[in-house]
Amino acid sequence: MSIPRPTNAVPVEYLAPEAEGLVVDLCGEEKNVHRLEELGIRCGCKIRMLSPGEPCLLAIEGKKMCLRLGASAGILVHPLTP
Amino acid sequence: MATVALIGNPNTGKSSLFNALCGGQARVGNYPGVTVEHKTGRMRLGSTSHKSIELVDLPGTYSLSARSADEAVSVEVLSGEMPGLARPDAVIVILDATNLERNLYLLSQVLELGLPTLVALNMWDRLESEGIAIDPKSLSHSLGVPVVCTSASKRMGVADLQSALGELLESAESSQSAREQHQPASLASTSFPEPFRRCVDELALWFDSQGCRLPRFQIERLLIDDSQAHSYRVIPKVLTSEVTERISQAREQLASEGVAIPLFETRARYAWIKQRVAGVIERKPRERRASLSDQIDRWLTHRWFGLLFFVVLMFLIFQSITWFASWPMDGIEFATQWIGQRIESMMAPGPLRSLLVDGIIAGVGSVLVFLPQIAILFFFIAILEDSGYMSRAAFMMDKFMSILGMSGKSFLPLMSSFACAIPGIMATRTIENRRDRMVTILIAPLMSCSARWPVYVLMVSAFVPNRSVMGGWIGAQGAVLFAMMALGALVSIPVAWLLQRFVFPGEPSTFIMELSSYKWPSLRVVLMRVWERVLAFLARAGSLILVTSVLIWAAAYFPGDHGPLDIATAKLEAEQAIPDADPEKQQALETQINQLKSEMISQSYLGTAGDWIEPIVRPLGWDGKIGVAVLASFPAREVIVATLGTIYSLGAGQDENSQGLAAQLRSATWPDGRPVYTLATACSIMVFFALCAQCVSTLVTIRRETNSWRWPIFSFVYMTALAYAGAWIVFNLMSFW
Repeated sequence: MSIPRPTNAVPVEYLAPEAEGLVVDLCGEEKNVHRLEELGIRCGCKIRMLSPGEPCLLAIEGKKMCLRLGASAGILVHPLTP
Repeated sequence: MATVALIGNPNTGKSSLFNALCGGQARVGNYPGVTVEHKTGRMRLGSTSHKSIELVDLPGTYSLSARSADEAVSVEVLSGEMPGLARPDAVIVILDATNLERNLYLLSQVLELGLPTLVALNMWDRLESEGIAIDPKSLSHSLGVPVVCTSASKRMGVADLQSALGELLESAESSQSAREQHQPASLASTSFPEPFRRCVDELALWFDSQGCRLPRFQIERLLIDDSQAHSYRVIPKVLTSEVTERISQAREQLASEGVAIPLFETRARYAWIKQRVAGVIERKPRERRASLSDQIDRWLTHRWFGLLFFVVLMFLIFQSITWFASWPMDGIEFATQWIGQRIESMMAPGPLRSLLVDGIIAGVGSVLVFLPQIAILFFFIAILEDSGYMSRAAFMMDKFMSILGMSGKSFLPLMSSFACAIPGIMATRTIENRRDRMVTILIAPLMSCSARWPVYVLMVSAFVPNRSVMGGWIGAQGAVLFAMMALGALVSIPVAWLLQRFVFPGEPSTFIMELSSYKWPSLRVVLMRVWERVLAFLARAGSLILVTSVLIWAAAYFPGDHGPLDIATAKLEAEQAIPDADPEKQQALETQINQLKSEMISQSYLGTAGDWIEPIVRPLGWDGKIGVAVLASFPAREVIVATLGTIYSLGAGQDENSQGLAAQLRSATWPDGRPVYTLATACSIMVFFALCAQCVSTLVTIRRETNSWRWPIFSFVYMTALAYAGAWIVFNLMSFW
């Protein structure tokens, strides 16, 4: 699967409920990005927004994960559904 | 006997598998952080030389880069650093088959420890519905370790796993070098960048030259992890500053050579994973359907409905506890009184009878009465945990917790603290951020634990009118009980804010937590948890509370000549045994006994202590007896009920003795005839207990978890001051009102 270029990317928080996105970049403090990757949130994985807001509830590769990263890290996604 | 460690990501069914292998001794939960320290169990393998195996259940972790205290436990056990536990002879890595790639990340690290490894591919039964197909033989070949398909919740594949483990241990034992024999096909670290591997080699040589031999994996972790991680704890203190300097230089060198620490690690490991699963796993395209869990979550994690549901649920739980517990409570109270009366009918009045009836039975019995409520409270908490609801509640509460600078991860330990602060404080090990963890530890004892229940229930049942409000839907007693349970949580809000602001200043923390799927709570697991807590409560009643009851009885009985009282009591009992006894004579004897009892208790050590303490507690509306009872309850708060039971049993009039402690409290008076206990006094006592740190075990746990006496002393001082101020305000407001 080819990963779209980050220029099309939006922060994951911008996804509407039930919208899907493909992770194209993780940014922020390296130790936080490292942690996100250990948890399976990495470039190329598919994310579905279940409940937007802070924290938001996401489905990542079928597993539900709640996230509130603040300014410490960010997940950029390429929206897959309108 | 061989030792085998069981490790895996959170929510992979690890504890269920542990129970299936060991026959069910560990607690299983459906939210992250159930296992915060290692648990051990015994399992038997029939057909191999290793007939008995010690199985170690490790806390769930996503990686061996230990950031939180519970993850550090896993690393310590696997590397043989855990005191009192030998390095495991083998490891079972449990993988969630429905999320294989992420789970293989942890396996990629475990394989580098060089231990014989067995993979349990769990949740195998869910693959078909998820549209996933995995070829376990190919996976085993690709990884170079045996793979067994299991479904722990249905006990599927458990026998195969035991058999594979037996074979693994036998072959490891028969081999000259188990490490070489069980070396997997390839390790992810072999694909780390060349400059990094060179740095590790140089550091390994340097450590050797300092007489400190470290495994390669540990040196890699030192280079990758930040200085707060567990890997730094294994360095001898004399080398710490030099190691830190060398690591810092090595990182600068690596950065100049284009190695991005720590991110290269995750990328290298996922690249390794991609190679390992190529041709092994197949995902069929399928139409996305909302699962039942999704549908429930739409409501229970809804911004407003979810919060409302949580508050209503908590309120209903506390209401139902008062409804369900009343009948068994009456039964226990009747039984203890019956035993006391039997002993009185069999023994002549004297110190031994007084010790048994007024000391032990009145003391311990008055605490045992609250066993039904505690059992019902734990029953509900166990259902919430096992169903998967607790992690949703943490998600719902994160928004609120973030205002205080904390995260939803603090919510689970705080919720556990409503049952008991000790497991709550231990559950803070799942919190990575030290600042969040410290604040959570320091406010956890403010949550109204089950030991406060006896005090609340005694005061509420004795002094709050038993009437319904709001059209009969809400009982006044239940509402006051709920208010008392909520008080500590409400007070913890400004306390947490102050601690975050002035004691632990820093950046707000992040919140990342996986939510497991909902499931029907297992009745066996729920009942096992209730049983564990009931046993712990009974053990406490049989030890600390028993000893305190006897000491309080001795302090209230001695010194003094009880001869005239014993003679009068014997005369009254003889009179009562006569069918046509003279009621006037009985009345005169009862008056004499009441007068003597009152004189004896005021002359006792306890009476003297009460006189000393009364000026301090008088502003709270308490008399000396309450003051002494509160002082005696500082080691364990529920002791107050036993102490009051003993004091009032010794000092009670003959007619009150048979009516239970609540009636005795209601008839207690000041010397001028005013009742000691009013609604204001009862509320003042409850508020004091809601806010005070009266639990030695909790303070010792804080010492253990923070590795310093500073924090238990801090907790004790701030909570006692808060309790006194709170009780004073409530008493004065309610007296005025």
